[in-house]
Amino acid sequence: MKGSNFSYLVKQGVVSVWHNRVMSFASFCILMVSLLLIALAVLFSIDIGIAIGNIEDTNEILVFVENDLPESEISYISDILNSYKNEYVSSVDFFSKEDAWESEREWFGEVMYILFDSVGDNPMPHTFIVSLRDITRMNEAATRFSAIEGVIGVRAPYDFAEVLISIRNTFAILGIAILAALIVVCLVIIYNTARASVFARRMQISIMKHVGATNAFIKIPFFIEGMFIGIIAGVASWFLTKIAYETVVSIFSEEIMLIQVLGLTSITDFNDIRWIVLAANCFAGALLGAVGTVFSMGKHLKV
Amino acid sequence: MVELKNVDVHYKEGGVDALNDVNLRINDGEFVFIVGNSGAGKSTLLKLLTRERVPTGGRVFVNGFNLSKLREGKIPKFRRSIGMIFQDFRLIPNLTVYENVAFVLRVTDRSRRFIRQRVPYVLNLVRLTDKARAYPSQLSGGEQQRVAIARAFASDPGLIIADEPTGNIDPELSYEIVELLKDINKCGTTVIMVTHEHDLVKYFGGRIISLKKGNVDFDDYIGGNNEGQ
Repeated sequence: MKGSNFSYLVKQGVVSVWHNRVMSFASFCILMVSLLLIALAVLFSIDIGIAIGNIEDTNEILVFVENDLPESEISYISDILNSYKNEYVSSVDFFSKEDAWESEREWFGEVMYILFDSVGDNPMPHTFIVSLRDITRMNEAATRFSAIEGVIGVRAPYDFAEVLISIRNTFAILGIAILAALIVVCLVIIYNTARASVFARRMQISIMKHVGATNAFIKIPFFIEGMFIGIIAGVASWFLTKIAYETVVSIFSEEIMLIQVLGLTSITDFNDIRWIVLAANCFAGALLGAVGTVFSMGKHLKV
Repeated sequence: MVELKNVDVHYKEGGVDALNDVNLRINDGEFVFIVGNSGAGKSTLLKLLTRERVPTGGRVFVNGFNLSKLREGKIPKFRRSIGMIFQDFRLIPNLTVYENVAFVLRVTDRSRRFIRQRVPYVLNLVRLTDKARAYPSQLSGGEQQRVAIARAFASDPGLIIADEPTGNIDPELSYEIVELLKDINKCGTTVIMVTHEHDLVKYFGGRIISLKKGNVDFDDYIGGNNEGQ
């Protein structure tokens, strides 16, 4: 194909957007709403993942060691615990029995000082506070830590871990299911809109076939037209995504307590990913618009 | 050249035999009227000649292409060797007259320079130079059909097939349309015109092929009323 003819077809594709403005507008709206819903679903899935991750990071296993252990033995236990950092441990902090006692006194406050003073020996054990990166391995970690010589007990929030794992898995499955359903619904709507648009111009396609146009020659303007509408819809949906996402985040950010409880302190900042979202929306819009239009032409090309 | 050898067309839907053992030969440069009542097989014959369908039996040759065995991918190349004129004009509504005619040349990958020379030439032939920038909706039926003729002739095909080209226009303009086709025929282009307007056929005369119930009922030359005019 000659370059001049290719540029003519590209021009025809862009001009067709205006000539078929009613169907173009319908395709644009459908694509824009679809991209908006998908983008928001992805962003909120990421945020839910971050929130669950933040809550997971607050998990702690308490490892109690014998009171009369020499410092060398305590150091040895510390080394063993730190060696698990390669696998699932994120941090290991040592709390001496004196620190633990002081911490308890402060927590109960001045009123209870007399009570603490009346206790002769410090009953608190030396303690390692171990945070896990992967809470699914909490049982395994607790069992291993218990087996270390000099450890007299381990306390782990098993129930909390199980609930978190269950929430995480549920959200993961739910997120994928919602996203998949949304994509399928959007594809069906986009395909049907494209089909309606192509159907309205079936005569034009038939004429092209009768004068000897190849399928590729006929498809190029439709492909360009679909892509052009898709890119515009991508930009528009990006604006709407930005507004919708920032509105929801601003509503949540007024509820500091809620944010802390939900672990949303390090939520995604739209500005940090705005270009990625714009590129993704435009790419997805162009792809859906172009492919949707071209796929819906199939039947009309058989003349 | 157009040649049909023992052509049968059988529609499975309804079990209809549209054409039965049809044998035809139309030489280069001929002007042929194809006539017949509804259901005689005219549309089926045209569909065979444009490779919209293939025969159930027999062979169809057009412009050196064996249409019975033509692969899908070769159909565009074949169609570029013919020009089609339809009863309902079939102009692309969002293209101007000039662009509609130029379109067929773009399909055949002609250069911009060639298109700039050829389109005004054919528009002048059909006397529509002043309407080059108009859209089909701004033209009368007769004018639209002249655009369709210009489009069919633009790529200078060896064969023009006209499917009831006068069916949607005023009777007095019908003669003008056939005159135009006759003029094109004088340039050496074979023209096959399907019509059921017997007055036109009688007026112009020439080779007449009449179809009846899927068979060639009459194939001969008749003298026209316009002879000597």
